[in-house]
Amino acid sequence: MGEASTEELIVNLGPQHPSMHGVFRMVVHLDGEIVTKVEPKMGYLHRGIEKLAESRTYQQFIPYTDRLDYLASPCNNLAYVQTVEKLMELEIPERAEYLRVIFAELARIASHMVFISSAALDIAGWTTWGYPFRDRERILDLFEMSTGSRMTTNSMRIGGVQNDVPPEFWPALQSFLEDLPDMLEEYYGIYLGNEIAMGRMKHIGILSPETIKDLSLTGPVIRASGFDYDVRKAEPYGIYDRFDFKVPVLNGCDTYDRNMIRLYEIEESGKIIRQAMENIPDGPVMAKVPKLIKVPAGEVYHRVENPKGELGFYIVSDGTQKPVRIRIRTGTFTNLQSLNKVLIGNTVQDLIVIFASFDAVLGEVDK
Amino acid sequence: MENKELLRKRVDELAARVGGNVAEGSDNLVLTVNSQYIIETLEAAKTFDGIPCDFLHDLAGFDAKDHFEVVYQLRSWSGPQKLRIKAIVDRDNPVIDSATRVWGGANFWEREAYDMFGIVFKGHPNLKRIYLWDDFEGFPLRKDYVTEPAEVRNITRVRTDNE
Repeated sequence: MGEASTEELIVNLGPQHPSMHGVFRMVVHLDGEIVTKVEPKMGYLHRGIEKLAESRTYQQFIPYTDRLDYLASPCNNLAYVQTVEKLMELEIPERAEYLRVIFAELARIASHMVFISSAALDIAGWTTWGYPFRDRERILDLFEMSTGSRMTTNSMRIGGVQNDVPPEFWPALQSFLEDLPDMLEEYYGIYLGNEIAMGRMKHIGILSPETIKDLSLTGPVIRASGFDYDVRKAEPYGIYDRFDFKVPVLNGCDTYDRNMIRLYEIEESGKIIRQAMENIPDGPVMAKVPKLIKVPAGEVYHRVENPKGELGFYIVSDGTQKPVRIRIRTGTFTNLQSLNKVLIGNTVQDLIVIFASFDAVLGEVDK
Repeated sequence: MENKELLRKRVDELAARVGGNVAEGSDNLVLTVNSQYIIETLEAAKTFDGIPCDFLHDLAGFDAKDHFEVVYQLRSWSGPQKLRIKAIVDRDNPVIDSATRVWGGANFWEREAYDMFGIVFKGHPNLKRIYLWDDFEGFPLRKDYVTEPAEVRNITRVRTDNE
């Protein structure tokens, strides 16, 4: 039988498509069912945060960082306030440091839970969708009782955190951590341990280590391709060097491992929160900071490990109340560069699954 | 500590070769070079003997009023070394060689810098606006970009009687 060639078909996926996790758009070139080229198009959620920063004071900019990766806003707050503090050489109270870690790790768990839900939904796992969302609700309740807001928490300040957590926070957190292993068991049983899920995701969308190094990819995506690289270990920020946790690494390089790695990361985040709970000291949660912050002239680059990749802030200050430039390096935006490498040669139905495994959040991609 | 000295030595050697300027920043070393030497600089930094800065962590444009800068944040996959490289780009003719031939990951960032500052990256495979629409006028992150005042931007509308 001779090789049949088909006419190239150009399909526009998104921005309004349920599998595009927001308003991402891809122009996909197809040969029959096989993807030959992908053109990512972004900007549908572009708000010009970097430009807005130039006309805001340093404190006023904190709520904007919530809107980057809106599924894990405390992590973004953490990155920003630590960058400013680094520039000001500000020491913050111990209790605030611990609260920040607890919030950031809770946000990481919440973000990964949404990932498991939405990734399962993309292979029609409707049942799976409900379970992580049910459990994430408990984290959002914890956020709500301590910051008043469920998603865009705006919980951190330059010099500490907004306020101390209420007394009922601790028993609620304790019971959440006690239930966490059962939750993971459940997710594995219903989704990742499922034969259909395995069949859909194993050996699909191979991300090679060379691609990762060339394209500067970061986050759980690379740890599923055998990279033992996590900023919390490679360049510890805040008090992360005090905690005993592992960086989970899988060697499959495929879509399945990119899903699986999230379960392990939830487990490790649980360990960090448990240690933080045990060791948190009493005391103030805010350093003495003037109402109007003037940051000394200079520039600094700081990066943290976010649930979806590394978030970096580059701040240039001229000594006034407003920054000259705030540059935001986001994880997903960079990670999406690899789409052209991993999607080529796969079929359309696999494209959806592979794209889901990158956990794109468009607030972070479009800034 | 030894690492820092070694990095300083390598950066000094490189600076002498490309006519660059080394400064001690608050967080890491800063090497400033002219735009025509950027590829040579990046390639050398990527393969520093014993202390490679082989992880391009970020690339961003910066408007320094009399000139533009392209700022490269380098890290390493294997060690703690950090380096910031700044390339000075002429304001009237903002052209610089694309770093995509050294790191493919520079692709989107260079498109973003082009989108926001109008810096042209020579040799880039697909230099188009990434966030804004193609016929957008001006480059918003330039300091001389004029944003209209809020009164003009806000479209106010008065209700007519029958509404």
